[in-house]
Amino acid sequence: MRTDHIAAWRGGMLALVLVCATHGTALAQWLSVPVPGTPRTADGKPNLNAPTPRTADGKPDLTGVWHADTMRYNDNLLPPGTQAPMLPWAAEVYKHRVETQGYDRPMTRCMPHGVPDAMTVAGLPFKILQMPTVTVILFEEFHKYRQLHTDGRKLPVDPDPAYYGYSIGRWDGDTFVVETAGFKEGSWLDNSGHPHTEALRTTERFRRINFGRMDLDVTIDDPKAYSRTWTSDTLHFLLSPDTELLEHLCENNRDVEHLENFWQGQQAAPPTTGR
Amino acid sequence: MRPRLAIVICLASLAVSGRALAHHSFAAEFDANQPITLTGTVTKLEWANPHIWFFMDVKNKDGSVSNWGFEMGGTGQLLRAGWKRDSMKIGDEVTVDARRARDGSNHANAQNVTLAKTGQRLFAGSPAPQ
Repeated sequence: MRTDHIAAWRGGMLALVLVCATHGTALAQWLSVPVPGTPRTADGKPNLNAPTPRTADGKPDLTGVWHADTMRYNDNLLPPGTQAPMLPWAAEVYKHRVETQGYDRPMTRCMPHGVPDAMTVAGLPFKILQMPTVTVILFEEFHKYRQLHTDGRKLPVDPDPAYYGYSIGRWDGDTFVVETAGFKEGSWLDNSGHPHTEALRTTERFRRINFGRMDLDVTIDDPKAYSRTWTSDTLHFLLSPDTELLEHLCENNRDVEHLENFWQGQQAAPPTTGR
Repeated sequence: MRPRLAIVICLASLAVSGRALAHHSFAAEFDANQPITLTGTVTKLEWANPHIWFFMDVKNKDGSVSNWGFEMGGTGQLLRAGWKRDSMKIGDEVTVDARRARDGSNHANAQNVTLAKTGQRLFAGSPAPQ
């Protein structure tokens, strides 16, 4: 009997310790959760400098929760001090967007960021899930997603235009190359407001440098908006280890009212197409 | 004390990271050159996205009371910064460092929130001025 009492007492104390240890951490179990497969240092912390993880077929595995290391690319996709080779109509639209502090920026009305700037909102991470025939990007912001198909299909001919377009991916050595076409005209290439038309085609080159870092270069090819193709600054992403995405739906958008007050009476935007 | 210390450290690191949301143009809605510090009593908290808003009653010099609204970051950003949805409760007295809305309304973008009862200073997770 006495042994049973001691066992029960020990069990109770263990339960109490567990309750104390986890007190107030119900959310922490979601925000801070050990992700299987994470390389760790001797003290148990994620080793962000560990080598690039690889899939069974030897390709780099881009899977993980990522965020941009700065908001600079979101502000302007181009390398600092450079200009995009905009056609005159595109330059006029861009100038208007800059001068009006983002007049009618789609995100103001909770419409999505586009390619590639949905990945550049540093405070709202995205999650890559790499699978054999498709790689999926889940964006925390507004609960959006992209599918990058790697099953050998070709880009669609005359697709119904879409904000994130239609994407196919392939490996070029250790670089994941994603081509996207079939864009809808509404999205902006960055928050400054570099425009694009439905003729836009993007080529993204992802490179996972090590466990904790990933780089991306994006080539913009839109002959209806730009006089030649141009390439973004190299975008740097950092892994957010041992955490998870959270819900982010646009349920309380109070900003529109204030912004409309600010924009009221300003000159109407020039047409947003070169066609 | 430990959780508080952790929160302060976490918030400090976030504060350095600066503007991290891009849902809308900060400069179009708020004026970085109009800083304002107000103390009042919390009347409403909207723990929601894309931005958390809270409201508080502020006593004016003439004795009247004005209700002010403050924008903060999104729920994920504040949760990651150590806030909980009950970190600030209706009825709490708080002091807010903020930037006023350009439209002259009683709205502002909160930069820091200090809880009067504990003196705990919290970062609001709002976008910093451009």
